[in-house]
Amino acid sequence: MSRWLQMLGVVIRLELAQRVRSVAWYVLLVIVAIVVGGVIVVLFLSLQGFQRDLGGAIFAMTIFLVMLVTSLVTPALSGSAINGDRDAGTLASTQVTQVTGTQLVLGKVIGSWIASLGFLAVCTPFMLGSAMLGGLRIEAVLVALPILVLEIGFVSAIGVGLSGMIRKPVLSTVVTYLVVAFFSVGTLIGFGVGTLAFQQEETRDEITWDFDDRTGSSTCIATGNTYETTVPRPDRVWLMLAANPYVIMADAIPPQLDANGYPDDIFGQIGLGVRMVQEPPRAESCADYGDDGTWQDPVEGIYERTAPSWFVGLGIHVLLAGGAVWGAIAAVRAPAKTLAAGSRIA
Amino acid sequence: MGGAQPTGSSHAATTATTVTQQGDGRPDPIPASAHPAFVDPLAAGEPAPGLDEGGIVALHVHRSFGSVHAVREMTFHAKPGRVTALIGPNGAGKTTLLLMLASLLAPDSGAIRIDGADPMHDPRAVRRAMGWMPDVLGTWRTLTPLQILTTVGRLHGLDRSAARERAAELIVEARLEELANRPSRVLSRGQQQRLGLVRALVHRPRVLLLDEPAAGLDPTSRVELRGMLRGFAADGGTVLISSHDLSELDEMADDAVFVDRGEVVRGERLVLAQQASREWRIRALDPRALSYQLANIGVAFDRVRVEGELAYVALDRDEHAAEVLARLVGAGVPITHFAPAVGDMERTYLGLSGGAR
Repeated sequence: MSRWLQMLGVVIRLELAQRVRSVAWYVLLVIVAIVVGGVIVVLFLSLQGFQRDLGGAIFAMTIFLVMLVTSLVTPALSGSAINGDRDAGTLASTQVTQVTGTQLVLGKVIGSWIASLGFLAVCTPFMLGSAMLGGLRIEAVLVALPILVLEIGFVSAIGVGLSGMIRKPVLSTVVTYLVVAFFSVGTLIGFGVGTLAFQQEETRDEITWDFDDRTGSSTCIATGNTYETTVPRPDRVWLMLAANPYVIMADAIPPQLDANGYPDDIFGQIGLGVRMVQEPPRAESCADYGDDGTWQDPVEGIYERTAPSWFVGLGIHVLLAGGAVWGAIAAVRAPAKTLAAGSRIA
Repeated sequence: MGGAQPTGSSHAATTATTVTQQGDGRPDPIPASAHPAFVDPLAAGEPAPGLDEGGIVALHVHRSFGSVHAVREMTFHAKPGRVTALIGPNGAGKTTLLLMLASLLAPDSGAIRIDGADPMHDPRAVRRAMGWMPDVLGTWRTLTPLQILTTVGRLHGLDRSAARERAAELIVEARLEELANRPSRVLSRGQQQRLGLVRALVHRPRVLLLDEPAAGLDPTSRVELRGMLRGFAADGGTVLISSHDLSELDEMADDAVFVDRGEVVRGERLVLAQQASREWRIRALDPRALSYQLANIGVAFDRVRVEGELAYVALDRDEHAAEVLARLVGAGVPITHFAPAVGDMERTYLGLSGGAR
């Protein structure tokens, strides 16, 4: 086992030596630092005094900015890991050694993961700094970091996997970007479309209110009539929303509730939204209103009733990453029985 | 008799028209060889090699890509202790064959053994035993030669210190000491080639597969390569070397495997090809005397080709060459050079590809 890991380590070092030592990597690092750092510093300097309260929401966006930037850079580092080596003729030189396909692919995933984490590393001081100076909640930053690490790993695995299964480096890099775009934007569109597509005709009981002049209170009364209505069913497509990395991030950060029991920042609000869409549409009935006519908040207890969607989302990502890695391992297995048309072996 | 005439296709139609009838006391014309109908029964009946004979064994290997049959039927044995040349025109299936031998590509059918190991069932044993140098060598361009050799050693399972030691040793062998710590992208083609060669040697393999190893090498490096391969074979190693430089192979290789259109050329075709006429290059102090006497001693005009000071004479057998030389000297031509224009392998190769010159 330790020999196996040692060999994996050799592949990782080889990968890093190739990727990290390229000029492009350093240039990208500097650009990322300037963009992310610049946005955070400028925000901090321009939001003074009372605006700081508003600033909380804006600062929250900087975590999303870091996620956006890292998810845009990672495919560039991983999307041609295997087919790029094939084209350069270096893949075969590793294939004729004692390295197994699994070590080769995992080494490449971990190598480009580490290389991409460099981008997170240059953003981290800015995030921590703004947290300490009062812009961000520190626990938000501390939870966001591991989630960012995992998400970068997910994109790395997808990139390396696709680069094993697709012959052309350019194509596999583009497809990796498309996968990132699908999860970032496509899931939102898919969720919206799915919600409408799955909408449903339902028959509901009609309720009415009886106002008592003397006591000044109203009573809920079921009229016994029914009516037809169209109900959207987001609960049937919420998995799509759960797979969105930004939603994962928002839901993973523990919500900070205000006096009314509602989350007070954008993460918590998104998280709450994802929890709510898990529940089937409620048929409003008089039971929702207490005997005293006060309204029972459906949000109450929702964190206990519903699944932690960040966990589900990460699970989906881990499964997909595993599938991509498995596909790449099958593709680098030698001696090869089948070859993609026009592919180069050595 | 004009004597000299550039000929397009010489040997195919020559045999019937060789005899010149002079009948005036000149030396008898050189007898024309019969159509090469002779088939060496021994060469034709070459038995198929056994799978456990060591070295490289390929038995009825076949591989196609879609409808293209890159390798149809290849059977040969590259023996331990010998340098075997793999020769054939472009597209004959040499590279596909080498990829299969290097455990990178699976044959559709047939069996392969590299030092007794089957690449299909035990590729790791094959990779332990085999060093492979591809024709277009991929190098990690940002890594230094020392790092490359150390990494390859570690990928072959050497531990850190052993890999470093071996790398340092091979750097000296490849004469890359001065470039050992520069990125490998600054290496010239020949230096890359030397690096690629020692890279194939990192794990001390017993079988070497080399694809065009001499391409881009300077003469010194070629001599070294030859010495290295001879030494490798003398220590009991098996070398299979694919190249287009046939004169180079002539000097280096003990055996040859000729491949054409995805098949190993079997004995009888080989014998026929070797019987194809070969050109001899003759130079004399007096070129005009030479061309006159060539005609005079009875060499058919369509076997002679004069280019500047040199005369080329297509002859079917070495005995004929000896006779022509004797007669030219006897006729008083001041010969300064008399040698085959092409080597044995080149002659066979050209014979196989239809005698085109």
